[in-house]
Amino acid sequence: MSIKEKVPVTILTGFLGSGKTTLLNRILSEEHGKRIAVIENEYGEVGIDQGLVINADEEVFEMSNGCICCTVRGDLIRVLGNLMKRRDKFDYVLVETTGLADPGPVAQTFFMDEEISSEFTLDGIVTLVDAAHIDQQLGRSDESSEQVAFADVLVLNKTDLVSDDALNTLESRLRDMNRMTRIIRAENAKVPIETVLNLSAFDLDQILKRRPTFLEPEYPFEWTGVYDLDAGKYELMLEEGPDPEMSLVALVNQGESEEELKDGAESSVRLYAEKANNLEPGNTIPFREHINLKLDDKGNKSFILNIEKPTKIALFTQHTAEEFNMKVIKSEENKEIPFNTERFWQAEHEHDDEVGSIAIERFGDVDPEKLNTWMGRLLSEKGVDIFRTKGFISYSGNPRRIVFQGVHMLFTAQPDKEWGNEPRRNQLVFIGRNLNEKEMQEGFDKCLI
Amino acid sequence: MPNIEPFSPRGMFHEGWTAEVNDYAIACGWALKGKQFIVGDVAGGLFSFEGDTGKIIWKKENTHSGGLLAMAIHPEGEIFATSGQDGNVQICNCHEGKVIKTLNLGKGWVEHLKWSNDGLFLAIASSKKVYVFNEIGEEKWISEDHPSTISAITWSNKNELATACYGRVTFFDIVNNKTNQKLEWQGSLVSMELSPDGDIVACGSQDNSVHFWRRSTGMDAEMTGYPGKPSHLSFDDSGKLLATSGSERITVWSFIGKGPEGTMPGELCHHTEPISSLAFSNKGMLVASGSRDGSVVASFLKKDGNGDPVGAAFAGDLVGAISWRPDDCALAAVNAKGVVNVWKFKVRTNLFSKGFK
Repeated sequence: MSIKEKVPVTILTGFLGSGKTTLLNRILSEEHGKRIAVIENEYGEVGIDQGLVINADEEVFEMSNGCICCTVRGDLIRVLGNLMKRRDKFDYVLVETTGLADPGPVAQTFFMDEEISSEFTLDGIVTLVDAAHIDQQLGRSDESSEQVAFADVLVLNKTDLVSDDALNTLESRLRDMNRMTRIIRAENAKVPIETVLNLSAFDLDQILKRRPTFLEPEYPFEWTGVYDLDAGKYELMLEEGPDPEMSLVALVNQGESEEELKDGAESSVRLYAEKANNLEPGNTIPFREHINLKLDDKGNKSFILNIEKPTKIALFTQHTAEEFNMKVIKSEENKEIPFNTERFWQAEHEHDDEVGSIAIERFGDVDPEKLNTWMGRLLSEKGVDIFRTKGFISYSGNPRRIVFQGVHMLFTAQPDKEWGNEPRRNQLVFIGRNLNEKEMQEGFDKCLI
Repeated sequence: MPNIEPFSPRGMFHEGWTAEVNDYAIACGWALKGKQFIVGDVAGGLFSFEGDTGKIIWKKENTHSGGLLAMAIHPEGEIFATSGQDGNVQICNCHEGKVIKTLNLGKGWVEHLKWSNDGLFLAIASSKKVYVFNEIGEEKWISEDHPSTISAITWSNKNELATACYGRVTFFDIVNNKTNQKLEWQGSLVSMELSPDGDIVACGSQDNSVHFWRRSTGMDAEMTGYPGKPSHLSFDDSGKLLATSGSERITVWSFIGKGPEGTMPGELCHHTEPISSLAFSNKGMLVASGSRDGSVVASFLKKDGNGDPVGAAFAGDLVGAISWRPDDCALAAVNAKGVVNVWKFKVRTNLFSKGFK
């Protein structure tokens, strides 16, 4: 007989009216081949169409030791404890929480209770967000920011009620709060089922495949274009855009490989650190200097680029070229020179929300003991504020990479695939409230060998 | 699947009979003074077998839509009650399995059933309320809402019912409709047992501890350090030994002398996987344990809670429930595959097989 596989569980969270039941019904009707058990905490106005539905009142059980990570959901333990005896009758479980549910205890139940964790595995947390109302909700309640912070997938629902600009702003706000999450836009909770079920969401490889930049440092610029230019005079033309000014660094002799682009980005970061000099339209852009293009005037603005001998130049710009319809034009021929290569960067944002993500990426090996001590202390001191942790670690002497994941103070570390020829490195993401990035990075650096 | 090799009954266990029910067996018990053995499966199937031979007497299917949750046989053994996810309780007669009365308590799961020792009352827990009915299904008493779903109920004497839920144990005088005592403890109480005299209250808690109170003195104590939540508790008939388990180990606390506070408990380590059922014999200091690995072991205990195994048998799969026959001369185990095993329990007279390895 084959080894018993654990039954995957998906948690659906989101405020009342965000569309949880609509999504639930969509899953049940489209996945009719699957036998899905539904545990429902919220009895909304919309009923659930079919499937094995169990209603249960949310029961949050705190322990006498007062430890927040020991808090579990009694109703889930009770209902899942019964369902595990009927496991031949279903192969997936969906839990629909109430709008005000704290996802922490729900997730912790799958780590803390041995009976539950031996039979079920938490596949992912899907949070529905009402695009029209989430901005206010985020300001008003901790629950909604925690639901965003815990999400493996954020469904930005009811996008038909909101303008594209507002959606972009909202998406970037949500992205700041949770850099791990996948954001899917939807009308009427219409999302492809495979984006919410069977995610194995704790698998960091999946996330990296989807968004390779998510572990990257944030840069003060969003875009780089590399232009191959002959000697001569050029104009940098900008139309009206979202901002009355834009920072820029121009470099010469820029290569186009990923490595060369990153080197260029590194020197630009250092130049960006210096105070920018304002530059009015019609003036010449100096190289290797942080400047601030003044774009107050109506209509097109142009700045001069003087190229003495043929070279590839790179423009590291605060916004993307597209936002200003920025062009490089050879003056004599009045001909546009398109870029050879462009590269987008993870842009730095103002972090308004208390909830945010911190990523640490370092090459090399760590000392397992030092890491344990550091993580142990970090989680015991900050565990309340750290909602989720995911990552890979390279333990010195271990041929396999270590995958770990955590919820609040709980974390598990398991050996994963072998490193093989891949460069050994460490990638960690923490999502939490008021986290001190610098301190955490320094702490981690001390664990490196 | 269990990861241990099947083995023949050893020590005081002897081949008896086996039978099968339709689904995962979750409840079982002896009726008619051991002449009949009744098994309930998770899908709502009920099966009655001859106690000595295992011959089927009657069976019923789909007694509770959504599934069966609990079964309790009346102390006289003539009638029994079942409950399920449908919010119903059925009181049936043991001889033919006929339904005498169906009670509907609403939409919630009905998870716990307990007859009082004299058999006059049936206590029923559903969600946050507990109900008391008499033998013929007449309602006698209903509690107020508890702070959370009730996790265990038991009778402390003929008129007094104890309930456990998140954060407290409550004692109700159900005849005079008053609350006799509240014992509070911030923790999720997942199991409860009372000593036979009703003085000691033991509860397993979700935070991997056992908490107990002595009602006469008001003293309480917390036993921590369990590797898992102690879902299984059993007192011996003298009320001196309390067997507890939340893992593959059984921890036995002795209440003799000043114990168990400050004493070392007895430890029994006979199983490879966590205990899934635990029961003292009706008389004496024999404790039987069934495990997720399918093994069943009987251990004879000393006053300090330590002891040695006197017999073992293999039930084939996770042991869903075990039950000593009223005369303690047989032990029944039902498993997750729906297999029923009844072993005779007696001293081996054959010299060659004497002694337990």
